[in-house]
Amino acid sequence: MRQIQVPKPYLPRRRFLQLSGISSLGLLLGGCGASLFDDAVRKATEPLNESVETLLFNPQKPVPEFPTSAIEPDALIVNTFDFTPKIDQKEFRLTVDGEVNNPLSLSMIEVQKMPLISMTIRHVCVEGWAAIVQWGGVGLRDIVSLVQPSKNVRYIYFKSADGYYESWDLASAVHPQTLLAYQKNGQPLPIENGAPLRLASPIKLGYKQSKWITQITLLSKKPPTLGYWEDQGYEWFGGL
Amino acid sequence: MARDITSQSSKSPPKPPQAIAAKIFHGLNLISLTLMIGSGLQIYNANPVFGGRAGWQIPPIFTLGGWLGGGRHWHFAAMWLFALNLLSYGIYIVITRRWKHRFFRGNDIKALQKSQNIKRKNYAWHRLAFTAIIPILLLAIFTGLGMYKPAQLHFIVDFFGSWQALRVVHFISVPIVITFAVIHSWLGIKVGGSRLIKSMFF
Repeated sequence: MRQIQVPKPYLPRRRFLQLSGISSLGLLLGGCGASLFDDAVRKATEPLNESVETLLFNPQKPVPEFPTSAIEPDALIVNTFDFTPKIDQKEFRLTVDGEVNNPLSLSMIEVQKMPLISMTIRHVCVEGWAAIVQWGGVGLRDIVSLVQPSKNVRYIYFKSADGYYESWDLASAVHPQTLLAYQKNGQPLPIENGAPLRLASPIKLGYKQSKWITQITLLSKKPPTLGYWEDQGYEWFGGL
Repeated sequence: MARDITSQSSKSPPKPPQAIAAKIFHGLNLISLTLMIGSGLQIYNANPVFGGRAGWQIPPIFTLGGWLGGGRHWHFAAMWLFALNLLSYGIYIVITRRWKHRFFRGNDIKALQKSQNIKRKNYAWHRLAFTAIIPILLLAIFTGLGMYKPAQLHFIVDFFGSWQALRVVHFISVPIVITFAVIHSWLGIKVGGSRLIKSMFF
């Protein structure tokens, strides 16, 4: 039994106009208007989001690790923006330069002589998937302290053999679990995962973790090109 | 003219009075949830929760942002509107003590069990629905925070057991909120007709 009579007309003119206004807004937001607005939305909110992310980030606190039994070997998807470079490990040199007192060029043998750090962490991709991975390598903070950066260094820039490039805030780069990795899941790092050296860290999204790194530059100012994906419109901080 | 007014007032009860703060919360909640769902489904499509890359994708008409980067910008922008609006409403219902008499409580349970008055029963169902959505909205924020900051707020991921479980629970907010919107509108019409619906918007 109907308790309440719905008044007629069912769709008065005013309501119709309201509804058509709402639905055309939907078309504008969902259709061609979307790409026009998303950059404006980014510009309006990224500074606020970034300051909250920086506030939440604790540069001293290690992220809890997993037992090696938790490793998910098949979950790590290989994402590459262009091609897979083949690098001769014997010829390879890692250049570390920028605003530093002691610029370096290191061979893989020299890198592997430095203390090995192993961690089993969750690798989180911007796409939404995640994989528990064991990474082994040298702490980026050890490399940074070797080159003696000048006092006003705040950023760090990574260049890769495939043309990929990235920049990080220094605090995240010297986090105790930010590594230049040359091992994955107890094995030498496979080429498709970034051999000979790649970034690995539980505190940044996957697109921040460059593979096939050849050059590291320490900077006092944000570089003009922030990173391959950032220059397409991704958020720069990308912190976890 | 005079006859019109008398006939109208005798036939239809006056428009239910709504607090302006409740109207603002309701309107902003509707807008921010629409933006959150549209942008969330855009992010979903980058790697579907169910089936990964091979999984079924949400048709673009329901998504907002155009691409993964755009979807994320919208999601993390609308997140502020959504969360701060919900927080202000929380403070508002505590200060005004609305939480004591505007939500589902003991006498509604009694009405659902015993009442012969169908109007009273419908009203109890209506209150149950709009009360139950609040913990769902809070859960969406909690799971969202866990996915946004899984390293700094790792205890949230641990609480749900696995990354996939966390993603599923976060995603479940979408069908729940859409189902709620349908049931809530239907119960609203049942309880107070278009007069009640209008009173919440204008």
